[in-house]
Amino acid sequence: MVMSFAGKTAIAGIGATDFSKNSGRSTLRLAVEACELAMKDAGVTPDMIDGMVTYAHDNNNEIDVCRSLGVDKLTHFSLVHHSGGAACGVVHQAAMAVASGACNYCLVWRAFNERSEERFGAGVQERPPAPTPMEVDFGWSSPFGLLTPASWVAMFAQRYMHEYGATSEDFGRVAVACRKHAANNPAAFFYGKPITLEEHQASRWIVKPLRLLDCCQESDGGQALLITTLDRARHLKSVPAVISSAVQGSCDDQQMMKSYYRQSITGIPEMKLCADQLYADTGLSAADIQAAVLYDHFTPLVLPQLEEFGFCKRGEARDFIKDGNIELGGRLPVNTHGGQIGEAYIHGLNGVAEGVRLVRGTSTNQPANVDHVLVTAATAVPTSAAILSRDS
Amino acid sequence: MTSEGTRKMSNTNEDKLLAQLQALIGRKSAPQQARDPVNQPSIRNWCDAIGEENPIYTDPDAAARSPYGEVVAPPAMLGVWTLAGNIPRLPDPDCPRSCAMKLLAEAGYRSTVGANTAEHYSRALKLGEQLSGTLSLVEVSDLKTTGLGSGYFLTALTEFTNQQGEAVGSWKFRTFHFKPRELTDEERAKQQARKEQLAKIPPHLRVRPRPAVMRETAFFWEGCQARELRIQQCGGCGRLSHPPVVRCPQCGSYDLRYQVASGKAKLYSFVEPVYPPMPFMRYPYIVGLVELAEGTRLLTNIVHCPPELVKIGMDLELVFDDTDPELILPMFRPAQPVRNTVTRRFEDVAVGEELPLWPIDVSTRLVVGGAIATRDFEDIHHEVAAAKRAGLKDLLMNVFTSNGLCSRYLSEWAGPDARVSGVDIRLGTPNVVGDTMTLSAAIADKQEVDGKGVITLSLRGSNSLGDHVTGSMTMELPMGANK
Repeated sequence: MVMSFAGKTAIAGIGATDFSKNSGRSTLRLAVEACELAMKDAGVTPDMIDGMVTYAHDNNNEIDVCRSLGVDKLTHFSLVHHSGGAACGVVHQAAMAVASGACNYCLVWRAFNERSEERFGAGVQERPPAPTPMEVDFGWSSPFGLLTPASWVAMFAQRYMHEYGATSEDFGRVAVACRKHAANNPAAFFYGKPITLEEHQASRWIVKPLRLLDCCQESDGGQALLITTLDRARHLKSVPAVISSAVQGSCDDQQMMKSYYRQSITGIPEMKLCADQLYADTGLSAADIQAAVLYDHFTPLVLPQLEEFGFCKRGEARDFIKDGNIELGGRLPVNTHGGQIGEAYIHGLNGVAEGVRLVRGTSTNQPANVDHVLVTAATAVPTSAAILSRDS
Repeated sequence: MTSEGTRKMSNTNEDKLLAQLQALIGRKSAPQQARDPVNQPSIRNWCDAIGEENPIYTDPDAAARSPYGEVVAPPAMLGVWTLAGNIPRLPDPDCPRSCAMKLLAEAGYRSTVGANTAEHYSRALKLGEQLSGTLSLVEVSDLKTTGLGSGYFLTALTEFTNQQGEAVGSWKFRTFHFKPRELTDEERAKQQARKEQLAKIPPHLRVRPRPAVMRETAFFWEGCQARELRIQQCGGCGRLSHPPVVRCPQCGSYDLRYQVASGKAKLYSFVEPVYPPMPFMRYPYIVGLVELAEGTRLLTNIVHCPPELVKIGMDLELVFDDTDPELILPMFRPAQPVRNTVTRRFEDVAVGEELPLWPIDVSTRLVVGGAIATRDFEDIHHEVAAAKRAGLKDLLMNVFTSNGLCSRYLSEWAGPDARVSGVDIRLGTPNVVGDTMTLSAAIADKQEVDGKGVITLSLRGSNSLGDHVTGSMTMELPMGANK
């Protein structure tokens, strides 16, 4: 089934705060600043905003954002679940809303002080055992000391290494590529700070087989997008990035970060579901994509993403990466902003903004002739993905 | 007296002591006669205590079919025969080891710990052989400082002969005689800081996170309390689900029951969390994703296994951990290896081959039974209060029992006709009751020696404190085609 809004909406504005380890201000302020910048980028005013779509884990309610932005009426507001898995889910939701006429100018954002206030990497030690289904789920892992996002992902990584012969160095090459790109992006936390594979290999263990440099940063910051119909976007200030399609995916025996009970745990079926929808909606294939922003909270799951989207065969991502394909100048430059490893961890929404820049031709690591960019949301959770394209 | 003077004086004293000790090198004890010949009841008691089931030690019919043609004694019993019983012998005034220990004790080196044991078994001993052992001191170290303290290593060699004077084997035992080390100020401060840090941890973070339980998942946790691993099973179609569902997705039934798992599993994947440290976990630890024999998977801990030996695909068995009185958790450890009844041929084994791991629970029964069966009547092996006085939590396994278990481990892998010919191990952390020692080994070398197929295995026995034994053992395997 092809989505009726495919290719009919666009990201018309992007805006972000600085990315840091200590923002020195509230998450609400970060959200509002990012939204304001996205509106300015698009050239829209608060009175035009009538839709807002937020992440379930974002603590900044649309009504609070409205009060500070001066937005007086909303005709659509909704919320997308599953943390970083919502990165393109909010785009999907906003695009549906503007395409259907539920609203005309929709803001989406993600803002948090994930480093200076609530660190996800600290793990889930203090969960009260209230018997909600989500807490019950944690009961199958937390008592055994499987408590952090890194540990949840490491379980997939170990099995992937076992089945396909991938090594820690193969994961390291993802980090090296991201940091190389970040080194040339002034907005990146690791601007001017590339790493070598040797440094990756020398970095300390977080959860074997994952090292420190396999993990993305923990960041403070906010990122917002302004989404509207393509027709409206064409009359706004900045070059629109066409949302050729934005989709969500959740699959059999889906769990939060711990879908360990499936036949195989080395692939990402929910990503495959997204890929199939995106390619069906757009008529494009992997061959038509010139650059990608692949969710990189941890390096190992970048590999099966390349496989699920058809850039290489199953188990062969390590060769694809080793051959330099994901670096600037390669077949598919990945995470040209530096990714969450190099730029900032803003639950993937900063990656969507990079997708917009790639389409506009304004990335600090701009490859030539970019028509279509793939952007993905978090792996190991119910997820989402989008293809952003140049307006022809 | 200046401090330098003290050192000089002390050095002079130490030099004198060392000279006295060295003077004992080469001196031999009076031959110690075994009180009884090699005999079936003692062998049977030893086999019972160690769990040795090779029939060539106890079953005349099976032994008749073996390469020996008759019952023989387990090689690891070599040192046992000439030991005194529960009635101590009069001390031999000529025994160089006793003399050395007396000198050391007078100089303040009163604590003793076994450091290395090396045994060589020339051939299998037959019933009726009358052994005699002569001990000589072969080596005295300089003053050494280890983690335990400062002192001297003594190496004693006991050579065993039978009634015809034929050499049948030897035992080299290296011991450390020391003054316990006092903590440095820095270490004391560190210890204090750690104590204070621990005191700051709130009670709920001193125990593992409690699972949240809902009506439909209670059966699992109740099962753990009853030491059963339960898998949800649909009463309608029999489908197994884990984690549990509230409605069978296959047949739609709400009649959800459970099946008790066999406890057999294979490791599917695993991780070793390192950072951030969780106050309620003991490091290192492994979180395993196991595939139960029944087909469902389970997150659990892999225990009784050194982390570096954990491998995807390894066979596992269920154990319940009840270190937390309110939360009994199902965990998995290496599965007990199956005793091999067909002897491996020399030609069929390869250098690098790894033996399956064998976790051994250090029980009071094993420690006390082993001590008595090896005629070791040191009180730390049978009297808990004595073990506690020695600073241990509970009874401590003696060296001969550890040796016996190592021999049994290799023999059960190699088969009944393989013969352990030598042991050379370093003794490390104590095997204390309540702990589990996991034996692991790999073939390090294989050589044909005088028409015999001799393999050398690297061996390790680790427990929760570290490595109890590390070293090598040699073994003779039959060569050529199976008879």
